[in-house]
Order: sequence, then structure tokens, then C-alpha cells
Amino acid sequence: MVLEQEIPRFAAWIGPALLTFLLTVGLVSLFVGLAAWLVQAARSGPLDAGDRVYRGILTGLRDLAGTSPGRVWALARLAIQEAVRRNVLVVLAVFALVILFAGWFLDPASVNPGRLYLGFILGASTFLVCTVNLVLAVFSLPADIKSKAIQTVTTKPVRTGEIVLGRFLGFAIVGTVLLTLMGLAGWAFVVRSVQHEHELTAGGLQEIRDDEGTLLGYEGRTGSGRGHRHFVRLDAEGNGIAENTQGHRHRITSRPDGGEMVSTVGPAEGLLEARRPLRGTLRFLDREGKPASKGISVGAEWAYRQFIEGGTAAAAIWTFDGITEEAFPEGLPLEMTIRVFRTYKGTITEGIHGTVQLQNPSNKLRSEAIPIVAREFTIEELRIPRRLNTVLADGRVQEADLFRDFVSDGRVEVWLQCLEPAQYYGVAQADFYLRLGNGSFAWNYAKGCLGAWFAMLIVTALGVMFSTFLSAPVALVAAVAVLLVGQFREFISRLFQSQLTGDATIAPGGGPIESLYRIVSQTSITLELDPTPAVQAMKLADMVLLAPMRVAAGVFPSLSALGTGDFVAGGFDIPGDLLAADAAETLAYVAAFCIAGAFCLRAREVAS
Amino acid sequence: MPSAASTSSNRPSDADVVVETRNLSKIYRDFWGRDKKAALKPLDLEIRRGEIFGLLGPNGSGKTTTMKLLLGLIFPTSGEAFVFGKPATDVSKNERIGYLPEESYLYKFLDAEETLDFYGRLFGMPPEERARRSAALIEMVGLTRDRKRQLREYSKGMTRRIGVAQALINDPELVLLDEPTSGLDPIGTREMKDLIIDLKARGKTVILCSHLLADVEDVCDRIAVLHQGELKELGRVDELLRVTGITQIRAGGLPPAAYEEVRAVLARHGASDVEIGNPTTTLEDLFLEVVRDTEARPGRRARAAATTPADGK
Ligand SMILES: Nc1ncnc2c1ncn2[C@@H]1O[C@H](COP(=O)(O)OP(=O)(O)OP(=O)(O)O)[C@@H](O)[C@H]1O
Ligand SMILES: [Mg+2]
Repeated sequence: MVLEQEIPRFAAWIGPALLTFLLTVGLVSLFVGLAAWLVQAARSGPLDAGDRVYRGILTGLRDLAGTSPGRVWALARLAIQEAVRRNVLVVLAVFALVILFAGWFLDPASVNPGRLYLGFILGASTFLVCTVNLVLAVFSLPADIKSKAIQTVTTKPVRTGEIVLGRFLGFAIVGTVLLTLMGLAGWAFVVRSVQHEHELTAGGLQEIRDDEGTLLGYEGRTGSGRGHRHFVRLDAEGNGIAENTQGHRHRITSRPDGGEMVSTVGPAEGLLEARRPLRGTLRFLDREGKPASKGISVGAEWAYRQFIEGGTAAAAIWTFDGITEEAFPEGLPLEMTIRVFRTYKGTITEGIHGTVQLQNPSNKLRSEAIPIVAREFTIEELRIPRRLNTVLADGRVQEADLFRDFVSDGRVEVWLQCLEPAQYYGVAQADFYLRLGNGSFAWNYAKGCLGAWFAMLIVTALGVMFSTFLSAPVALVAAVAVLLVGQFREFISRLFQSQLTGDATIAPGGGPIESLYRIVSQTSITLELDPTPAVQAMKLADMVLLAPMRVAAGVFPSLSALGTGDFVAGGFDIPGDLLAADAAETLAYVAAFCIAGAFCLRAREVAS
Repeated sequence: MPSAASTSSNRPSDADVVVETRNLSKIYRDFWGRDKKAALKPLDLEIRRGEIFGLLGPNGSGKTTTMKLLLGLIFPTSGEAFVFGKPATDVSKNERIGYLPEESYLYKFLDAEETLDFYGRLFGMPPEERARRSAALIEMVGLTRDRKRQLREYSKGMTRRIGVAQALINDPELVLLDEPTSGLDPIGTREMKDLIIDLKARGKTVILCSHLLADVEDVCDRIAVLHQGELKELGRVDELLRVTGITQIRAGGLPPAAYEEVRAVLARHGASDVEIGNPTTTLEDLFLEVVRDTEARPGRRARAAATTPADGK
């Protein structure tokens, strides 16, 4: 799993976030108020318009304050009844079909089937529930206005805010029920799909004996289960593990049975996990061993994963903070995901060799190198023991204690180096971590579903807001447009920055017109265009087009940023801070959309 | 004048005015804000507590528009409308209002009980009261047998009946009925008239528009006749229908033998065209006269301008 940025503490995040929210809401309201005044002024003169807008805002706010839970609930019930009688539950049948077919398409022999299945299930349920809710939300109010049923509602003591909130609440409840059912079904599907057994027969094992012929243990392979087999290492009694394949292990126990040894392979371990990592900060040394701001970019990977060259002094160094004997009484459980970039093929089934060392950040005392083998796509586990050797300046080897000698002020450095010349290791900051412990996977899955729930809430509120002043199909398109801009908000802001600074490396290819030109003329996006007047004009037009998109990108919600499915699928516990921040963000969007919807509906003549 | 009102306040006229409009007008605009249709020309009205007020006029004359303006469903182009002394766009006034739209715009996927329960909830009525009132109203409009059927299966008249029940769920003080008898069978029409008269007896104010002039004549205290959005007639029904210059004599139990004697007395006083029988001047005649008159000579009729709201009975 790739973390693009650090997850801030919620307590530190919420303050500035709230400020940004209020500022944005203030600016948007000011802008909208001004626009409303201009429209009114065109009709009835500036003074009268000002009076109307002022009174509209005032009574609108008073109406919001008069919101009654009873009426909101009545309208929410109506929305639920509407949804149920429109047969939304059909979507559950669709989901069931998706699950059935998924069994055919998802490859159980893939590198990490747990991740594949989880990612698929969470993705499918999020998509389905968001689609259903968006359609429900977008079609409901316009249908009411069209059928004029709204007239019998607004002539009751109902505030427009209650209509909007009731709609939102009703559909949110429908979505919650759908998501819960899908979540449970998906859970059953994933757990059942990844469960498997292996057989281990005496024929599959080889005895290992030392020179005197005493039995040291056994080695061999398990039988095939769900398309894979494990290497097995057992001790003399026949106990041991089936080694990590497809992201999991099995424990093996044996008992003698009439001279024969009967081995049992336990259930898969490590497939559905919720690891709690302690992450460090990463810096690099270049091939001469001098500090480098970046490693070597091999071009093929994303910028955030940097590469270090094998057989040189290049190193990736993580500094971990908060290391105490109490937290890690049995040494440091280091887990590593290392990308391998080969400049020659070598033995492809073998990993690339490297070392890991500890260094005291204060006195630079360094431990002996611990050999590792990096294989693609798997998380390597390495427990750094309490007692380590260190090589002194005069070449003597001395035993040292992990916490006494290598940790200073709770900090320790972990050095990664690649041993094989002309091969490269690629790492990002999130790739090395110390495992603090395990959360419950079931709870983590539930938290993952909560991410989908947040997305569903935002989509519903967005749909309801647009449906207050647009006809259903237009509202649908508008909502989808907002979600799309939100989805690509990072890219849009990078593109805009790139246009503004003229630095094409931030986002190559230019804005909409320039990229269209590049497509038509088949010009590579990395090629600078000659600054002819035509090109200048094109870039200027792009700026004009991009500016409003950049503003929108700063305001619109990104559903993928709320999605925490990657954590669940990748086997990481979703941090509470992230969840809290996501919840706050969702609440902010929902509140803003509902209030905006209430004002729009209020300003509208629902009966004409 | 109802006695309760006269004792309640020093300024009975203010407390008594349920609906008031000042220069209320409406021009429908299209999406671009261009004028499309002047549906209502500046209108001044005052409707008092306990009155049954009828809005008459040909199709498209602005009756529904007036009602919607009073309800705050649409916003006036100019002028103001007040209901219970509050601006028409104030939602809190709706606590005391019942509205039956032109067609019963209800939720087709609900059944009769659910419909009334839903609207009852909007008034924050407690569950027992909701159940009691909706049962009573369903009984009253004669839908007891069909109360569990979804409205999509209802006939036009049945939909109308549930619409009436919906309008009365909160026991409103002011009831606006837009063509209450449309789609009703003769018995339903009769019951509707009885209902309106019963509402009046209970001190409620009713504003209704209808094309069934005989019914309007039977129940309304005052009427306004609109034509092309303009007020053409306004006044008490009995006054408007009084044909000045002709005296009508009605008597019970007069034997035909006495007719000649009466004729002789009238002739002695110089009366001409003496006719004895049932009265024939009706609202229908008045209505046709107003419409024909306006088509022939556009402009405001002198009589409407002169008429001021009557003081009740
Ligand atoms: N939403 C609207 N947009 C444009 N014009 C409208 C709209 N609603 C009504 N009108 C116009 O306003 C005028 C008055 O309409 P209104 O519905 O008030 O008539 P009415 O007196 O109720 O007629 P009817 O007896 O047929 O019910 C009509 O000319 C109508 O075409
Ligand atoms: Mg009408």
C-alpha cells in the first residue's frame, strides 16, 4: 500500500481544516449572494434587490433555526417509502450477481488474493450504493415538483430545509441499509473465498540430517490449495510453518501415529490482517554515500518511490521515533516492501540480496549487517533481535543491546542497502515500518465500509442539492461533473500550477486545448512547443479554462480521498485519525450541501 | 358579525381580516426572465373571518394564481399578500391553513391512511391524534373501504376526496379550495356543499373557486369575478344578484285564487310586467353578463370599483 502523505493527528488537523471550511463557505456564500443580488437588480433595481436578498437570507436562516426533527423524520420516511416502492432493493440482487460472477473472474492464484477480493468487494459496493443513491436523490424532488405533490407539502408548515434534510436522511438510511447488507455479504464472500487448506504428506517432506546423522528437521512442499503451494520447514518434532506465499503462512503441527508422522496444516495466517504500523521518515544517501535529496529515478515508477543502486554506498535510511523497550520487548518487528528494479535479469525466481543495519542517530554506532532477500510484491518480515553484534573501528566484533546501544532518545535509524551491483531497490517512506501490533480485521473491514458510507452520504447530499434547482437529468450530470472534478482535483491543481509557473515537469502536456492539439498533431507530451504567438494564445486560453476548474478542485469533494479500501485490502489498520478527519470532512460537505439546497429550494417557485 | 371577534380586540377589523392583498399582481416569466403572461393584475382584497369567499372567472382568468400567491407557492411580481397578518411567504401561517389544489397532487405510492398520517406528521400531531383524525376524515369523505389501497389505483373522484381529507387534517381556520367539486359525483357535490356550510358554521373562513355557479350561489357570502387577471365584480352575492327596478314577492301558502287580488293591488300602485312565480335571476346570468360585457367593452367595471368589502352578516 502506498501512502502519499502522512496522516496528521486529528486534533492538529481539525483546527485549520475548520478554518478553511468556514472561509470557503463564507466566500462561496458571498459570491452566491452577490450573484443573486445582480440577477434581482437587473429586474427590480439595486435597492429593491438588496432588500429582497437581505430579507431572503434572514428568513432563510430563521427557517433553518426552526427545523423540527418530527417533520424531517416524516419527510425522511416518505423518501424511504418512495425508495422501497421504486424497488431499490433490486440493487441487492445486482450485487449478488456481481459476487457470483466475481468468483469466475477473480484469479485465486494471484499474488495476493485477499487484497484482490477485498478491493473488489469494497469497490463494487461503494460504486453500487453511490450510484443508486445518486439516482434516487436526483430524481426524487424534481418528480415531486413535476407531479406537483410538492404543493401539498409546502403548504403545510414545512421549511424547505426540512424537505432537503428529510430527503437526504431518508435516502441515507436506504443507502446505509443497502451498504450493511452488501458489507455482510461481501465479508462472507471474502472470508469464504480466501479460506483454503493444504495437505502435507510424508512424501512431500525430506529429512535433513547433520553429518552425524541426527535428524535436524524436514523440508518440502505442501500440496496445492487455491492454486498455490508453500515451502515447508519443520523441526525434528515436525512442527513449523509453511512459508509466506500469496501473503500468508500456515502453522504446521505433527504428531507421531504408529511410527509414521502425521502433519496437520493450520488455517491461513496473515491473509486478512489489520497491521498497525509505526512509520518513520526516509532519507537517502547517493552512491558516494553523500546525502541525496532523492534517490535515482529509474523513470518507470512513480516519483515518490526512489531507487538506490546496488553494490554502492547508496542507502535508504528510515528514522523511527518513539522506540521503547516497553513497546517492543522482543526486538523490532520490521516489515518491508521493497521494489526491485533489475538492469539485468539474473535468476528471476531468486530475490535480490541486500542488508539492513541499525544505527544510533547520536553516536553513529552501527550494527552488523543483517542479510535480506527482496522479492517483489511481498511484505518481508524481519525481527531485529535485542542482542546484536557491532563491528568496532579496530575490526573487533562486540555484542550490543538494541535499546541501550542503538536507540537514543527513542530514535533509531534503519539502513537499507542493496548488495548486487547494477540492481536497484525501490522504496518509499511507507514501505518500511515497525509493526506495533494488530487490530481486528473484522473491525477494520467495518471501518473500510465506513469509508464507503461517507462517500454515499456525500453523493446523496450532492444529488439532493442539485435536484432542488435543476431538472433530474441535468442534476445527475451536474453531480457527476462535480464528482469527476473532485476525483481529479490533485491533477487539476498540479496542472494549473504547471501552467502558471510554466514548469512542464509538474504536469506535462498542458491544459485542455494544448493537449487536444498534441493529440491531433501527435506531439509527445514531454516535448516543449515553440512559443509562437499561436501557442501562447493556446496556453492563455487554457489558463482561462483551467482557472474555474482550479477553484472547483479546491472546493469539490473527492470520493477516492475518502475511500479507505486500500488500507483494508493492503492489510493495514485504518488509523483513527484518518477516520475522524474523513468523518469531519463528510459532515462538512453534507451540511454545506443541505443548507445550499434549502436556500435554493426556498428561492424557487415550486408551483410554477 | 361573529360575536367572538368583536369582543376579542379593540381593533376588531384587524384581528378579523384573515386575508389581505395590496396591489397584488403576478407576471409569469420564462427561464430568461422575459415576461410571458400577466396572470393577475393589481388586486386589492380583504377577506374576513367566517366568510365564504368565491373566486369566479373563465378558464385562465387567474383564480388559481391568486390562491397560489396567498399560499406563498409563487412569489408576487409586485404588491403584497398577508394571511393572518403575516406575509404570504411565511411558513408558520400554514399551521392554520388547509389547501386543496386544483387537482389532488398527492403521493401515488401511499395509501389513504399513510397519506393522512404523513400530512399529520407535518403538523407535529401526536400519533393517537393522527390516527383518530385520519380515521374520522376517511370516514367523512367515504373512503373507509378503500383506505388500504395505493392512491395510484384511485379514480378521479376518490383522489379528490382524499385531497379534501388531506386539506382538513389540521382542522384549519382558513381553507382554500380550488374547484372542490370537480370530479365529484352528485352526492359528493352535495356533501361538499354541506361540508363548506358546516365549516362556516364552525367559524372557519373558506376561499373557493368553482365553475359550478349554482353551488357558489348557494354557499358563498361574497364573490369576486376575475377576467383576464382583472377584477370585474366584487361584492355580496345577495347584493350582486338583486335586480334593482324589479321587486320580487314571495309568499308561502298563497292559494291561486288570491293571485288576481295581488295583481290588482300591484296594478293599483302602477306596477308593470307583473309576474308571479319562481325567481329566475341567477349567478349564471350575472357571470355571463360580466364576461360578455367585458369582452365588448374592455376596462374596469364601475360596479366593481365602487364595491367595498361588506361587513359580514
Ligand atoms: N406556470 C405558469 N407559467 C406561465 N403561465 C402560467 C402559469 N400558470 C398559469 N399561467 C397563466 O396564467 C393565467 C392564469 O392561470 P390560472 O391557473 O390562475 O387560471 P384559472 O383562473 O385558475 O383557470 P382555470 O379555471 O382553468 O383553473 C393563464 O393564462 C395561464 O396560462
Ligand atoms: Mg384554476
